[in-house]
Amino acid sequence: MNDKEREILLEVKNLSVEFGKSKKNRFRAVDNVSFFIYKGETFGLVGESGSGKTTIGRAIIRLNETTEGEIIFKGKKINGKIDKELDKELTRKIQMIFQDPMASLNERAKVDYIVSEGLYNIKNYKNEEERKAKVEKALLDVGLLPEFLSRFPHEFSGGQRQRIGIARTLVMEPELIIADEPISALDVSIRAQVLNLLSELQKEKGLTYLFIAHDLSVVRFITDRLAVIHKGKIVELAETEKLFNNPLHPYTRSLLSAIPLPDPRREKNKILEVYDPSCHDYTTDKPKWVEIEPEHFVLGNDRELEEYRKMLEN
Amino acid sequence: MSNKKINKVADGITENLFEFAEFDESEAQRAGYSNYSYWRSTWQVFIKNRVAFFCLILMIVLVTFTIIQPYLPNQKLPTKIYIDEKTNMQLRNHPPDAEFWFGTNSIGQDLWSRIWSGTRTSLLIGLAVAIWEAVVGIAVGALWGYVRALDRPITEIYNVLDNIPVTIVLILMTYILRPSMTTMIIAMCITGWLAMARFVRNLIVIIRDREYNLASKCLGTPTSRIITKNLLPYLVSVIMLRMALAIPAAIGYEVFLTYIGLGLPVSIPSLGNLINEGRALMMVPSLRYQLIFPAIVLSMITISFYVMGNAFADAADPRNHV
Amino acid sequence: MEDSKVILSVKDLVVKFKLRGRILTAIREASLDLYEGESLAIVGESGSGKSVFTKTFMGLLDANGWVDSGSIMFEGQDLAKYKTENDWIKIRGKKIAMVFQDPMTSLNPLKTIGKQVQEAVELHQGLKKEEAKKAVIEILRDVGISEPERRYKQYPHEFSGGMRQRVVIAIAVACKPRILICDEPTTALDVTIQAQILNLLKRLKEKYNLTTIYITHDLGVVANVADRIAVMYAGDIIEIGKCEEVFYNPQHPYTWALLSSLPQLGIKGKPLHSIKGTPPNLFYDIKGDAFAPRNPKALKIDFVEKPPYFTVSPTHKAKTWLLDPRAPKVEPPESIAILRKQWGLNKDE
Repeated sequence: MNDKEREILLEVKNLSVEFGKSKKNRFRAVDNVSFFIYKGETFGLVGESGSGKTTIGRAIIRLNETTEGEIIFKGKKINGKIDKELDKELTRKIQMIFQDPMASLNERAKVDYIVSEGLYNIKNYKNEEERKAKVEKALLDVGLLPEFLSRFPHEFSGGQRQRIGIARTLVMEPELIIADEPISALDVSIRAQVLNLLSELQKEKGLTYLFIAHDLSVVRFITDRLAVIHKGKIVELAETEKLFNNPLHPYTRSLLSAIPLPDPRREKNKILEVYDPSCHDYTTDKPKWVEIEPEHFVLGNDRELEEYRKMLEN
Repeated sequence: MSNKKINKVADGITENLFEFAEFDESEAQRAGYSNYSYWRSTWQVFIKNRVAFFCLILMIVLVTFTIIQPYLPNQKLPTKIYIDEKTNMQLRNHPPDAEFWFGTNSIGQDLWSRIWSGTRTSLLIGLAVAIWEAVVGIAVGALWGYVRALDRPITEIYNVLDNIPVTIVLILMTYILRPSMTTMIIAMCITGWLAMARFVRNLIVIIRDREYNLASKCLGTPTSRIITKNLLPYLVSVIMLRMALAIPAAIGYEVFLTYIGLGLPVSIPSLGNLINEGRALMMVPSLRYQLIFPAIVLSMITISFYVMGNAFADAADPRNHV
Repeated sequence: MEDSKVILSVKDLVVKFKLRGRILTAIREASLDLYEGESLAIVGESGSGKSVFTKTFMGLLDANGWVDSGSIMFEGQDLAKYKTENDWIKIRGKKIAMVFQDPMTSLNPLKTIGKQVQEAVELHQGLKKEEAKKAVIEILRDVGISEPERRYKQYPHEFSGGMRQRVVIAIAVACKPRILICDEPTTALDVTIQAQILNLLKRLKEKYNLTTIYITHDLGVVANVADRIAVMYAGDIIEIGKCEEVFYNPQHPYTWALLSSLPQLGIKGKPLHSIKGTPPNLFYDIKGDAFAPRNPKALKIDFVEKPPYFTVSPTHKAKTWLLDPRAPKVEPPESIAILRKQWGLNKDE
């Protein structure tokens, strides 16, 4: 696919998010982050806990307020104050899947209400029959039976509950789905089911995903492009295979080396690369966000960028 | 060891059992269907607590009795003063006997009917206050807890109101408006909702950022529906606990106000009046019954509601549903 | 390994729970021999019973659970017969210690770290205040906490998740137990910290000559730490063998399914191999092989009779009728072949 012709669905420009009200207590969770997501792709955002990846996802869907920078969706700025029309449109077009299937569904409501909740809000249906039809279709799309509508969440397993969460977003007919660690809380064999489902739905409906995760082994299978985030800053961004084959930034390398391999011989003899932030000397030479090869960005100062270029040539 | 086992097992097995079975995908989906019902489990845990269950039965009997008592045969009017036909004197301070089951008080009124009438009145006051507390307390508490912009202002208002001694308000209200059932209810309502609001607010602050509430926000659900469908259903059990405790608390206040002379007039019997009258005669052993009977009824009500309220709160916790 | 002593021997253990009026059989006649000095991993998903299984070794079952039958022989005593707290006090901490999953809730937030470790040291090593404190500082240094004297006075909330887990491990190891059970010790931690904690556990095992049991669902962790692997499904150990044997030569269809559904095997554009259906309902009696309803290659006998252990090698056995000489030859799924290629193995290894 010719990159120049790919439509950019979401662009994040110099985004910063700070928490805390007083001047002293301000915590910069997201620091000057920039990236964009093409229509129809799965963009991965990987980092450890506290890295700011969830904050970015929540800022895009307007759960968190932004401090600096812009988030642009289909050409329109969506962070900060926006008018009611745009707000309503965004509620439909951008949706989120949450991490913990045990906590993300309302235990006291029937599945029917849970999946229809969005429809009740945007009133995207003419009459009761149409609403029911939409909800049943959403359930079938995720592989659940319409008879589940009259049951409560506690009657379902983790994997099924996560599917209900997915159905809830699908019924809105979104364009962008932010999946915030959608499989971390699931059993290993169920993860495969849900990943397959997400892949299928993307093909069928032309969805775009922002896939937030901390587990690199999962991400390799499902993402097209991948960004690695560390303490609020994106340190490297590239097409997934390029990143796995040629990791440049030391943090990316340590993350990759830490993935447990299900191969006893290799795993037992593995040498762990540990990331030490003090290996960067940014006192005089400030780091820059540079496209070091096509579709491969990395954060580094001039000296480091030289090293990275040499590594790529080899 | 495994060889021996195979031989034993092999005795009952034929060759064709080693063929492939048909793979039935629906069988694979047969997971445990749990027909767990929250309220049914709550009820079951509640009635396992024998004391609480007994109190529940006791209260049901008591309330039913107070309602039907006036319609039973041979009941006397609570305010009628009984005159001894022979001496033409008031039947004062008659100890309990066949005619006056609980005896008479110092001006000749039948204590039995007075007690039940008084219980009716006190329970009504308690119920009215509890319902008001619930409605206003929940409304204010929910907005206070969920809408961040309102948190500061309502907290300040709460701090001011909370520091005004309840007793002073009660006395003032009763002094300004004349003592009557309405006054008493109004006075207790003015101050009672604060505690409930605080309670509800604290709980909502705990659950408002849970993922399912964030999900509702993402779906565009308005605040009012988030409060009613997402938050309040979780609070039902604690709200009922507080209501259960509000009833004896209201009755307690009523007794207290009567004690300091600002209670209901004597023409309206209430547990407060009865206890007050009985207290005056406490030192005379033969007249103690006038204190004991209303005190027993009051104790039964208070203890029962406390026990039931706490047992219900325990039962409503899903972690106890085993 | 065959020469090592067996220090814990579980035979045909059955554990039941009473839940909402019904009886659930969580462990269905599971047997296990634990050799001294080894590192055993118990792999399974939620509901497989792996946590419950090890909790019976320490008497940590919930109040509504009990050991129905079977034996747990440890140091000449049958732990399955222990009923009172007095019996268990001799075992817990001192002989068998446990590290739990969530370091946030394993520590008392109101006491300093130093005090908590010291409690364990004083109780189990019988040292008094000053000596105990010295021992504590040594242990903290040993588990990789820098500046232990300063950290001694700090509270759990001042530590990060990984550091807290180190403290929990310190408490467990302070008692110098014979067996250390780690129940998903790194699941709640970031992947980089996870690697460090696993290395720490390996180092401590060497130093204190511990026998460790790891409970996990992460096959990568297993590949890292385990000498032997036991695979649990629906309350029974369905395959057990040396780490390399189970990874490179799995025999039970469930083990195949577990290995096949690893995301690392995924080829972009094609669906991942996933196991259909859900684990069985343990409220009902299970006839035959518990995995049969989800196994596309199940034999008729799998629905009739529970398979016994079939020996694959002196150290590797599996409970599957496919190993019976009368069973048809079934090849592991294609994904296993792909895995083997990834691992650089040819067909015979």
